[in-house]
Amino acid sequence: PPPANAGRAPGPPDGGWGWGGVFGAFVSIGFAYAFPKGIAIFYKEIQDFFGTSYSEIAWVSSIMLATTYGAEIVSSILVNRYGSRPVVIFGGLLCGIGMVSAAFCTSILQLYICVGFITGFGLALNLQPSVIIIGKYFLKRRPIANGLAMAGSPVMLCTLAPLNQFLFDNFGWRGSFLILGAILLNCCVAGALFRPIKAATASVKTPKEEVTKDAMEMNSPTNVPVEIKTEEEGGKDCCEKINQYLDFSLFKHRGFLIYLIGNVLMFLGFFAPIVFLAPYAKHIGIDEYSSAFLLSILAIVDMIARPTTGIIANSKWVRPRIQYFFSFSIAFNGTCHLLCPLASNYMGLVVYSIFFGLAFGMVCAMLFETLMDLVGAARFTSAVGLVTIAECCTILLGPPIGGTLIDTFGDYKYMFIKCGAVMVLAGTFLFIMNYYNYRMLAKEEKGRKAKEEDSKSVRTENKGRNNWDKETIQDGPELEPLKEELEGIKKEVNGT
Amino acid sequence: EKNIPLDSASRIELSCRLDNKYSHLKSFQVTWKRGNETIRHINKTENSWSIQLMVLDSSKLGSYSCTLKGEEEISAVFHLQGKMPKIEAKDKPIVSYEGDAAVLICKSCGYTPIAWTWYMTNGSEQIVINDSLLADKYVINKMSANVTHLKILKLAKENDGVYWCEAAFELGKSKGKLELKVLSLMVPLKPFLAIVAEVGVLVTVVFLYEMYSKKKEKRAEDGREFDQVEQL
Repeated sequence: PPPANAGRAPGPPDGGWGWGGVFGAFVSIGFAYAFPKGIAIFYKEIQDFFGTSYSEIAWVSSIMLATTYGAEIVSSILVNRYGSRPVVIFGGLLCGIGMVSAAFCTSILQLYICVGFITGFGLALNLQPSVIIIGKYFLKRRPIANGLAMAGSPVMLCTLAPLNQFLFDNFGWRGSFLILGAILLNCCVAGALFRPIKAATASVKTPKEEVTKDAMEMNSPTNVPVEIKTEEEGGKDCCEKINQYLDFSLFKHRGFLIYLIGNVLMFLGFFAPIVFLAPYAKHIGIDEYSSAFLLSILAIVDMIARPTTGIIANSKWVRPRIQYFFSFSIAFNGTCHLLCPLASNYMGLVVYSIFFGLAFGMVCAMLFETLMDLVGAARFTSAVGLVTIAECCTILLGPPIGGTLIDTFGDYKYMFIKCGAVMVLAGTFLFIMNYYNYRMLAKEEKGRKAKEEDSKSVRTENKGRNNWDKETIQDGPELEPLKEELEGIKKEVNGT
Repeated sequence: EKNIPLDSASRIELSCRLDNKYSHLKSFQVTWKRGNETIRHINKTENSWSIQLMVLDSSKLGSYSCTLKGEEEISAVFHLQGKMPKIEAKDKPIVSYEGDAAVLICKSCGYTPIAWTWYMTNGSEQIVINDSLLADKYVINKMSANVTHLKILKLAKENDGVYWCEAAFELGKSKGKLELKVLSLMVPLKPFLAIVAEVGVLVTVVFLYEMYSKKKEKRAEDGREFDQVEQL
């Protein structure tokens, strides 16, 4: 990776300490997604201990997931205010406290609070900033960074499952919760790796050599320079104040709305097949261990698919059209589900698991990357908070609706058909709407360039100066030669 | 000789049939016996003799023989055995802590037992656990038809060991084995403190490295500025 210019250049360093941040995000994201699934191993024992029914125990998971997704918006606000690092460290502490207090619980209600709310909230504070920090550290290599960080989820799941079993056999559920609390404190280490970047959010690149390569890239996040201008032109009224915490003006953003609608639709069918894969396998007569193995196959393929998708998405053919790639992977995922009922024996289900793992990994790797691509790194913090709170409902509704379909018809194939249909629909919607969006962006870009040609020297001079004011660059004597370089680059870009 | 496993109370008919190769035998007597006791046979046809038994409890189990006494002595033996349903109990030890409670569960797969009895092992003896006598220590609950729970409260080190749950059926008994381990709170505390220490060390290392590299950068920048000022 190229050496970090963090202190000097405006714009994401795309390397150096950034990879440390990716590792931290890997750990954080991994815990956030894998932990709720991992503690299901303890449920049978806790159920017997407290003498409750299975559904009362399952509420622990539901509360945890609901809190993680619902609290994301609070997380966004906190990150906007305080930056990523303090939020993740606080989140790690909260998770640790939650699990340690869960070890001493004497009733199921206390478990709901300690494991469900407190740990769930801590995980939400972990998840958001990790995703956001990638946008702050990377631009050119962002898809790879996103793919690698998101790979944390399957890796952690594969690690936590046997670890939890080992802890349970040796320490019982109380001792395991105590030790898991300590393990979750490692999120604080992940947070420590999130070194704050001094340079803010402009996508301008100073090194001259990279200009021609970047010309294409500058066309996609065109929103960013426009946003910096609008933020300055407005005065500090109360709307501005709210927008400082959470950017509600995103609801006027075309790309954001497209992403929101498409994703909310997609999540209706996203998680249900995973939840019901093992029960479906048992239903058609496969034994318990082979059914569990299907999920392992899925996780292993997922693990490989995520970074690979990141690399593909970063290539120069795919990156400008990443939204199409994303829509394609959603539709591909949906098609897998539609074809699943055709699998009638174990080999068929193995093939399905492999393709499902591949599709699942592809979608997850690009989930946040596409949002960053649409709204830019500056508004990503608020965007991801708003999107998650909207998705929260459909994510939580998906599996129960699938369950109801299975119970009503007594057959799993309707659930697969419903999930497949919803996802193919979402993929097609996103594909068409993004085609429209790309065209509108191209038109706006042409219009903007035309206006710039008219008042070239004054505007580029002003724009350059505004960009520099926005960033905290220290010293005077350095500024002059760099500024001239910057204007030179702008002229070159406008020329292409 | 034949083994007949029975899993519940039933009416059994045992019959002995004389094979064709013995049809030359003229005068003989066929008796059904259980041990020394003779049983009257119910059915007799030309060359078969049968008895009917109502096996209601384990007292009727055993070996039944039909003997042909005449020129030769031929006999056949039936062994009526009780085949007890297996008892499911966790084969891995159940871990709990001093002062905490533990729940031991046994499940009978198949038939519903008439009664459950729990035993504690003291050395080589098995002692019955009487929950009415020690009501604040042991609670035995029949959770459903085939499942029994033994809840042990206020655990202490002495409660560590092997426990047996015995299910009594009409025709016999079946046992399940459970192991309880009682740990002190120090046991998980050690790995916990080790991991917390690891986290503390890593966080400190990361922050120290960051301060060090920032100082290095600042020094390098100051050096560069100095050069540029000189150039200008």
